[in-house]
Amino acid sequence: MRKISIDPITRLEGHGKIEIFLDEEGNVANAYLVIPELRGFEKFAEGRPVEEMPRITPRICGVCPEAHHMASAKACDAVYHVEVPPTGKKLRELLYSAFYVADHAVHFYILAAPDFVLGPDAPPAERNILGVIHKIGVELGSKIIRWHALGMDIIGMLGGKTIHPVGALPGGVSKAINEEERAEIEAIGHELVEFGQFGLQLFHDVVLENKGYVDMILSEAFTTPMYYMGLVDENNKVNFYDGKVRVVDPEGNEFVKYAPEEYLDVVAEHVEPWTYLKFPYLKKVGWKGFVTGKDSGVYQATPLSRLNAADGMATPRAQEAYEQFYETMGGKPVHNTLAMHWARLIELLYAAERIVELATDPEITDPHVRNIPTETPDEGVGIVEAPRGTLTHHYITDERGIMQKCNLIVGTTNNYAPISISIKKAAQALIKKGQVISEGLLNRVEMAFRAYDPCMACATHTMPGQMPLEVLIRDADGNVVERLTRFVE
Amino acid sequence: MTLALKTLVVGLGNPILTDDGVGIHVVRALAVRCRRDDVTFAEASLGGLRLLDLIAGYERVVLVDAIQTRDGKPGDVHRLHPNDLRASLHSGSTHDLSLPGALALGRGMGMKLPDDEAITIIAIEVEDVLTFGEDCTPAVAAAIPRAVEAVLAELGMGRA
Repeated sequence: MRKISIDPITRLEGHGKIEIFLDEEGNVANAYLVIPELRGFEKFAEGRPVEEMPRITPRICGVCPEAHHMASAKACDAVYHVEVPPTGKKLRELLYSAFYVADHAVHFYILAAPDFVLGPDAPPAERNILGVIHKIGVELGSKIIRWHALGMDIIGMLGGKTIHPVGALPGGVSKAINEEERAEIEAIGHELVEFGQFGLQLFHDVVLENKGYVDMILSEAFTTPMYYMGLVDENNKVNFYDGKVRVVDPEGNEFVKYAPEEYLDVVAEHVEPWTYLKFPYLKKVGWKGFVTGKDSGVYQATPLSRLNAADGMATPRAQEAYEQFYETMGGKPVHNTLAMHWARLIELLYAAERIVELATDPEITDPHVRNIPTETPDEGVGIVEAPRGTLTHHYITDERGIMQKCNLIVGTTNNYAPISISIKKAAQALIKKGQVISEGLLNRVEMAFRAYDPCMACATHTMPGQMPLEVLIRDADGNVVERLTRFVE
Repeated sequence: MTLALKTLVVGLGNPILTDDGVGIHVVRALAVRCRRDDVTFAEASLGGLRLLDLIAGYERVVLVDAIQTRDGKPGDVHRLHPNDLRASLHSGSTHDLSLPGALALGRGMGMKLPDDEAITIIAIEVEDVLTFGEDCTPAVAAAIPRAVEAVLAELGMGRA
């Protein structure tokens, strides 16, 4: 054995790599975030009993295992044509709401807050969670950590394991909760509502009261009008666990609303020669390249798009925050990439309120939490909103329930094209006629894609401000004319 | 080495991503070989804050993980400490803190965490971490017994 220092330019260390292509005049023609793709999941799944999928698919991603668990359980319900009892559904949604609180909290406080609380131009060495806590104080910092842990406690209680939940099964969940557990979850829920309100207040005080940030949020470089996707309930309110997927156009009009099993009529995937990644787009609008607007089938699936695609929030405090959001931003829909952070905090408050609602539901301690599947399995689609976008699981089995074919569209995949477009716009503001304003380019580009909270094999898992980031700028002939790096050797 | 330290051995990685799961395979093999009241074995596919929650309260931690370095050969076994990880440790998360970052945060918040010197990382150089599969590639699979011995040595149960 030998002692080594680790070179960051490896997949396991992970670093963001961005390619910016210039045209003949030296202006930005295209920009892409380069993402290593995991291979062969479909093949891995084929031949396995479909009911294993809710335990296997959470392993696909270390970031949102709960989202895969839920989408997979719902796809299995559909494969077996089994209706989940009301309490089974509510327990799943309860777990899922706790997951949302914890997940959104990590993104906002650890990944996004450093840019806002310390400022995008603060030295990278300070622009991290430790810097945030230094500024807001250890006491508040401890509370944030505690709130995150409370969200995880609920997941542990309902899911069996805090890391890879196993609670949901085809037809329901494996275990009911008793009154003692219910009371504990309710108490946690109230604390998390306080957490949700705290986040919005912090955003208000630190971001909205600062003209520099507001100008940046509203700037053209961070504005990308496109189609917006999100799951809604029967009243067109945001829902993370169940309902139909609604898409609105860049003017905010409903373009389509579809049930999970109809997804292939709505979404198609574009293939580019330079990457194995597929770029989903709206079939009926068509793929017109990496461009925004009503004629381009590019859509986003993010906290912002969920708010844009819905008519409101189903809980009172979140609804109030929703109204204030659109009033401040000048109406619906909102096209500003950085407003995604605000939208995420509104969702966090909604998820916390939903925990209290579900924990105080008279049915929640009902012991009937699962219907045993009796029908012959064949095919099914399950959709949930992952924090990073609409997540679709589609399974086809033989009559014994053995997987024959499976197709997944994962959260971040929806946003590959929008992320590229957002990076391009941020870069356009800083690269003109071959002149590159290097200062600030890395930060601005990072802010453009970090807003999406992309989940990829490597690119974003180090501390903000310390994320190794490499930007290659190529001329019209493909030659590298400039290489900007940070924390890359 | 004091043997009565309350110790946690964590296998990190994704057991369905070919070599990425090597840390998990090592810990599963260890759990059969070593049954001691002062040693707990765990598996995790997550890093950052979630990993912090897992290791809080232990006096000594051994992390077993996959790694890729510039000149490494698949199957090489490295012994590291958190300070060796300049930018981050792969710990399964694409959306969270690095290990040194998480430790610094936890200590800043007054969490009871082992010192850096009491955290050892046994890292196995891997080959393929992008293809779904439950088995490691041959060179990495062959390194599992060596990594097991390396962890046993940490626990004062080495053969030498």
